Amino acid sequence: MKVYQRLAQAFRQEGVTATFGMMGDGNMYWVTELHKLGVKVHEVRHEGAGLGMADGWARTTRSPGVATATCGPGVTQLATGLVTAARARSPIVVFCGEHPTIDEEYIQHFDQSRFAAACEAGFVRLGTPETTDEVVRKAFHQAKLESRPVMLSCPMDIQQKNFDDDEAYRPSAELFTRGTIHPDDAALERAADIIAEARKPVIIVGRGGEWSGAGEAILRLGERIGALLATSLMARTFLNESEWHAGISGTYASRPAISLFEEADVVIGVGASLNRYTTEHGYQYPNARYVQIDVEPHVMMSGGRFADCYLQADARVAVEAIDRLLALRSVNNTGYRTPDVKARLVNHQVDRKEFLLDPGTVDPRESVVTIDELVPPEFGVLSGSGMTPGFANMLMTRRRRMVQSGHFFGCIGQMLPAAIGTVVAMDNNPSVLLDGDASFMMHLAEFETVVRYGLPLLVVVMNNECLGAEYYKLDAKSMDVNTAVIACPDLGAVAVSMGGKGVLARSDGQLRAAVKQWVANPQPMIIDLRISRTVPSVPYRRIHYGLDE
Amino acid sequence: MEIDETIQVPADPQTVWALLSDPYAVVECVSGASLGDQREDGSYDAKLTVKFGPAKVAFAARVDIEMDARARSGTVAARGKDQLGGTRFAASTTFRVESPAAGEVPGSGSIILVHSEVEIAGRLASLIESGASLVVKRMTRDFAEQLTARCAAVADAAGTTSGCD
Repeated sequence: MKVYQRLAQAFRQEGVTATFGMMGDGNMYWVTELHKLGVKVHEVRHEGAGLGMADGWARTTRSPGVATATCGPGVTQLATGLVTAARARSPIVVFCGEHPTIDEEYIQHFDQSRFAAACEAGFVRLGTPETTDEVVRKAFHQAKLESRPVMLSCPMDIQQKNFDDDEAYRPSAELFTRGTIHPDDAALERAADIIAEARKPVIIVGRGGEWSGAGEAILRLGERIGALLATSLMARTFLNESEWHAGISGTYASRPAISLFEEADVVIGVGASLNRYTTEHGYQYPNARYVQIDVEPHVMMSGGRFADCYLQADARVAVEAIDRLLALRSVNNTGYRTPDVKARLVNHQVDRKEFLLDPGTVDPRESVVTIDELVPPEFGVLSGSGMTPGFANMLMTRRRRMVQSGHFFGCIGQMLPAAIGTVVAMDNNPSVLLDGDASFMMHLAEFETVVRYGLPLLVVVMNNECLGAEYYKLDAKSMDVNTAVIACPDLGAVAVSMGGKGVLARSDGQLRAAVKQWVANPQPMIIDLRISRTVPSVPYRRIHYGLDE
Repeated sequence: MEIDETIQVPADPQTVWALLSDPYAVVECVSGASLGDQREDGSYDAKLTVKFGPAKVAFAARVDIEMDARARSGTVAARGKDQLGGTRFAASTTFRVESPAAGEVPGSGSIILVHSEVEIAGRLASLIESGASLVVKRMTRDFAEQLTARCAAVADAAGTTSGCD
């Protein structure tokens, strides 16, 4: 057996069922072997997009996504995707070839370890055939334990050497277990002291709360202490079946929710990092003390601030324990839960400001509500960064699986790849991606990948033919907005030319008809939705124009 | 950021100067601001609440005021930080009261030339980006309106506006 064959077997033994990347000299033998082992190899159009797909997979399944690139020039394409995935704490293993150890002047020579370090990824290198199992195990172990991308770099000549060991591969999962982390008793008592005194508590749930299955415990604790519920952006719509749910905390909060948050005297962060966006650097909660629960040893909130009481613990276990302690103390507070607050939360997220629309365009606020209404909740939704999520995040309120792919690095272009990875990870569960035109165009070629694999993905391009963020920033500074305008072809026609379905929509009626058509028969499709530049999102009105609404 | 404003007020320079040289009266024209006691070194404690978008930020500041009665000009320099300690600001405003330019009808009022430099640093700056300068511009406009109204009221009472001449 050759080393590349053993490498492929080891990946399969680690539970890998799908990969995303491009074949080249450095990884082609390994890829061919994966095919033989029944792994679904997704051949993509850009290595960086392949990495983004593995990121989408990781965010959806919480298990390592696998990307691959040849070596040198294939590896340098991974940069933005790697940093984004590292910041998003996505476990990923990237299989890369490397120039032959016997040829330092090889044309594609590149110091991949330094590149990985600069891109905030881990790095494991195959040095000899004897360490083949060891390096694969190490890469998966590190990706899962540190929850970040790890590059496994395998020189081409070593891959072609013989592998003689006939022992079975031992996957990383056999070697370590992760138990539930229980909170420290003293910290728990302190948390209970603070929460028992709270008259206006807000519980902010993040991804950690969702992952740990803390939902029911949070609802019970919220009931006991009269809490308002909110989420971080990443956990948006989680628990919004509660009538005391005030939506997203922070930059995407509605005006009525902000007024309520400002009254808070205690904020309980459950598996949420409470970063600058989630609490607006604390300005959204000017008089609150903080209790923060997270599995990390400690998490510093934005700007060097610390929670008044930090509990390192599994979110569900900690919330249940706090609730038990408060029950023993017979705590039962009304808090926020009054008829007045309930009335203020009715349709609180609706943006009522009126704008005249550009001719032949739609109001993006209406469009996202239409999409939310027509797309069944079992279908996933993904949204981008930049301007688009300002509408989608605040106005789409149906509870559903939602992945935000660009936010951790503030990049564009990563959304289509992440959507592809998510759809594959969910066994071809239909999903909708809402993305801006500039972001979508960056990896347009990957729509062909969507078509080639027949993925049930609807891309709604929120197309205002400009670099949206820049357009409004220039406008706020009374500078020439036309420098941010970039004309865009009919992307519906582009979709059709690539073998998919496509529509150019300039009215709500056209959007409705197209979405209904897709819902009835989910397949690769682009709706090029022309939206009016005259409608800035609520966050943009706040951030760039300093307006309250 | 730098802001230049020319404010036309319906009162003669003497009346306007009398108003502007009273720090308490000036601060009353800044919405959300209040001036505290004067310290031994001549500076004042001040409080200022500013709304950046929906976020209310309460600043505590130290204010130094210098007045030149002969030139009818003054400088107000303020620096401070907000309640949560994450945002600092430094602002310096110079103003000068002038008669209307030659050629205009005398007695038609005064012109106040205002030049401000405002720096905002710290946590808030990263959240509000370009919105901050628009907020400060709006505050300056609001200040001009308040000041104009005040001058008009004083001038009306004294019968010194052009309309009352």
